[in-house]
Amino acid sequence: MNPKITREETIARLNALLAEELEASIRYLHLGSMVQGIDRLIVQKILQENHEETVEHAQQVSEKILQLGGNPSPRIQLNLDGRRYSGQQAIAEALLFEQAALDGYRDLLEQVDSSGDVVLEEFARQQVAVESEHVSQLQMLLVESPVGDQ
Amino acid sequence: MSDWREFDQNPVSHSAAHHLTTIGDLHDEVGYARVSDVARHLGITRGSVSVTLKGLRHRGLVVEDEHKHLSLSVEGQRIAQGIRTKRILIQALFRDVLGVPDEIAEQDACKIEHLISDMTAEAAGSLLEGLEDLSEDQRIRSLVESARSSSDSSSPFPDTATQQLANRLLKKAAAIESEDS
Repeated sequence: MNPKITREETIARLNALLAEELEASIRYLHLGSMVQGIDRLIVQKILQENHEETVEHAQQVSEKILQLGGNPSPRIQLNLDGRRYSGQQAIAEALLFEQAALDGYRDLLEQVDSSGDVVLEEFARQQVAVESEHVSQLQMLLVESPVGDQ
Repeated sequence: MSDWREFDQNPVSHSAAHHLTTIGDLHDEVGYARVSDVARHLGITRGSVSVTLKGLRHRGLVVEDEHKHLSLSVEGQRIAQGIRTKRILIQALFRDVLGVPDEIAEQDACKIEHLISDMTAEAAGSLLEGLEDLSEDQRIRSLVESARSSSDSSSPFPDTATQQLANRLLKKAAAIESEDS
């Protein structure tokens, strides 16, 4: 393993990512309930799909932790208020925690890159790709993407 | 009793107070603060930090540069400094006047640091300042006198004298801690 990161540090990072994914899945569920407005049904569908994907990601991260001989033990602290969201506000909020997850996977990739653990490296690379896709999709919904500007 | 409604009028929530003071502390300690640093410091996810920071940025209390480094605005610094000072004063009040163990005093101070008014914090500061070099009998007399008077300061909290007192109390607490260990 890369001398930059020990097995324990890798497990700790994966547990932090597991917490990100689990929190995101709950946030998606909550946002789906609290969204209102004319685009409610469309946004709810997007949020539901993303919720299901984050649950899948959480399962994958848990598997990785177990494969490394660790225990999935995420620390989660969520206080969700009863605020209502427009479709755009809900997507903007989702973009915040998707970006946070992407940054977390990027950091993991940086740490395990060239570590010799090809499986973990490939996992991190794949997650960066998937999360980047999520972020881009959300940005496009908010018209933040450079698409069409060129 | 409708006092509980005033909780909604507080300038910052408990969580926001921790985010502001953490950004300030990280700047003091390492010279910068990123979302990942704040998350690690508070033991929460980056997602939670990002969601909270959105509100603080919107209110002009936190600024993010192009390198995603976070800093406090002038108003953010004032609020963070006020919260820190209140925490120190209340912790000292609970420990030195009520005789609560320092660890419990710190935990309880943390729970209310962002909730108490500037006037209450100033009154606590005046009381502690008056007690600093007194004997036990003098302390009791001073406590009674202090309870009868009220603060009429209208300057922004914390003023220089209160800030200096908080710094002295902080040093005193550190000295007690090092003696214990």
